[in-house]
Amino acid sequence: MSVILDIVNVSVGYSRHKPLFEHINAQLVRGTVTGLLGPNGIGKSTLLKTIAGLLPPLQGSIRHGEGAQKNNFCAFVPSQPLRAAHFSVRDTVSTGRHRYTNWLGIEDREGKQIVENVLERTGIKHLAERNSASLSDGEFHRVAIARALVQDTPLILLDEPTAFLDIANKRSIALLLRKLALEENKGILFSTHDLTLAMEQCDYFWIMTPEGELHRGTPALMQENGIIDRLYY
Amino acid sequence: MKRLWLPLLLLVLMVADLFLGSVSLSASDVWAALWGHGSSDIVQKIVWNFRFPKMVTALLAGMSLSVCGVQMQTLFRNPLADPYVLGISSGAGLGVAFFVMGSSLFGVGMLSVSWMFDLGTAAFAWMGALAVMLLVLAASRRLKSNMSLLILGIMTGSAASALIGLIQYFSDAPALKSYMLWTMGSFGNVTGARLLIMTVLCLSGLLISVYNIKDLNVLLMGEEYAQNLGISLTKVRNRIFLATTLLAGSVTAFCGPIGFIGIAVPHISRMLFRNANHRILIPAAALTGACMMILADIISQLPGTQSVLPVNTVAALMGIPVIIYVIFKNRAVDL
Repeated sequence: MSVILDIVNVSVGYSRHKPLFEHINAQLVRGTVTGLLGPNGIGKSTLLKTIAGLLPPLQGSIRHGEGAQKNNFCAFVPSQPLRAAHFSVRDTVSTGRHRYTNWLGIEDREGKQIVENVLERTGIKHLAERNSASLSDGEFHRVAIARALVQDTPLILLDEPTAFLDIANKRSIALLLRKLALEENKGILFSTHDLTLAMEQCDYFWIMTPEGELHRGTPALMQENGIIDRLYY
Repeated sequence: MKRLWLPLLLLVLMVADLFLGSVSLSASDVWAALWGHGSSDIVQKIVWNFRFPKMVTALLAGMSLSVCGVQMQTLFRNPLADPYVLGISSGAGLGVAFFVMGSSLFGVGMLSVSWMFDLGTAAFAWMGALAVMLLVLAASRRLKSNMSLLILGIMTGSAASALIGLIQYFSDAPALKSYMLWTMGSFGNVTGARLLIMTVLCLSGLLISVYNIKDLNVLLMGEEYAQNLGISLTKVRNRIFLATTLLAGSVTAFCGPIGFIGIAVPHISRMLFRNANHRILIPAAALTGACMMILADIISQLPGTQSVLPVNTVAALMGIPVIIYVIFKNRAVDL
């Protein structure tokens, strides 16, 4: 199993004097879906942003696995991705190819094909010409995931990708993430409060507890150890 | 054909601007003067030394302010942002206030020498705009959030306006009048070397803006997304600020603070083309802005009469109904 992310003794937060969560040690492997769980305000989003390089770690190091480029090893999908009015879905997804396009942001033929393939695989090909602002939340979450996919990174981080969605959309997004891990050998890490969905779709859990501990393991193990019960009941 | 109508309209307006003016000239005289034969010296002078540079200035000003407005609205993700949101016009105004009213305060008689006054006004306006922009740039190294920068820009502008008020309080009537005339905007004083300088500065700003297109598309979807794609926010901001200084700073320095076009045209272009991709939006805003500015110039000349209206007033009166129409039609102004 190839390790794509190695977190060593990392503390996260916005101030050195008041870290949100300390001494995190964890690894993530390709081809798996990991659910990041914990109560509100514990630091799940902060940890995801720190891994994505949007925030510096207060201490420790975040290493990417072999074969990944330092500046292109993970794509991040925020909980409420911003959408631009009068911007087509195809153009929105294409912005994810920023590193690979020419100085004006124009794709070569191969790049255009990659975008079309991703639109197809994420089930939004029929929306390609639609104005992004006119999509439902569920549809736009798919667009945001497609945009992350065209970045062609081995790791995809998602901050509560199923929040605000109805049951059908939650399930369809979760199945899409599972498919990406299995068929494209991506490492997927997403935060969620939906325990039922996470139990169904995740290979591993990272559980952040109010005692400041990060528990890692399969969903079954976490349940067996009573960690889930301690967290939610 | 669908996308050709705007350049065609611009061409028609450019020609109309040469043919119409406050001095009544027959179409055949203007035509002859344009081709350099069969017209009197005075007609040649009016067409080539006055109307042509004025038309080019309006073209450059319209393009520059509109392209600048698009970049500011995208950078701050704010539909109310305009080229002057970072305090450029207040900075330029402060520079001009120092020059115009300061020279009268210290008894330096520059107001009486026309070319010295025009050149001094432009130079001081440019220095004022640059000083404000350098201040904002220095702050942008420390401030991570664009919203904090926006507030800082507005505060800097207010501080400059307060200082202008103070200078005005101690100034005499002729200096105050000169300053007020500058604030009303005019395309008529930009000729010869000044037009050349303005052209070079505006074209440089437009080129940088074209280079910004790729990053602007990403910025429209949020700073976090841009950072995740490996874009350095500081570098992009600096490039946008540089373009803004060259574009809005130069237009303000040479023509005075021309308001409204910079905020209205980006919205009009989005409405016309229904596309916010900057590869479409930047050229569309440049063409629309040029059309609106030249039309404002034609109207401000009040063809057939001997009077001229301040171009700033005409631009605002033309643009406001368009924006109200956009708001009522779309029920919202989106970015």
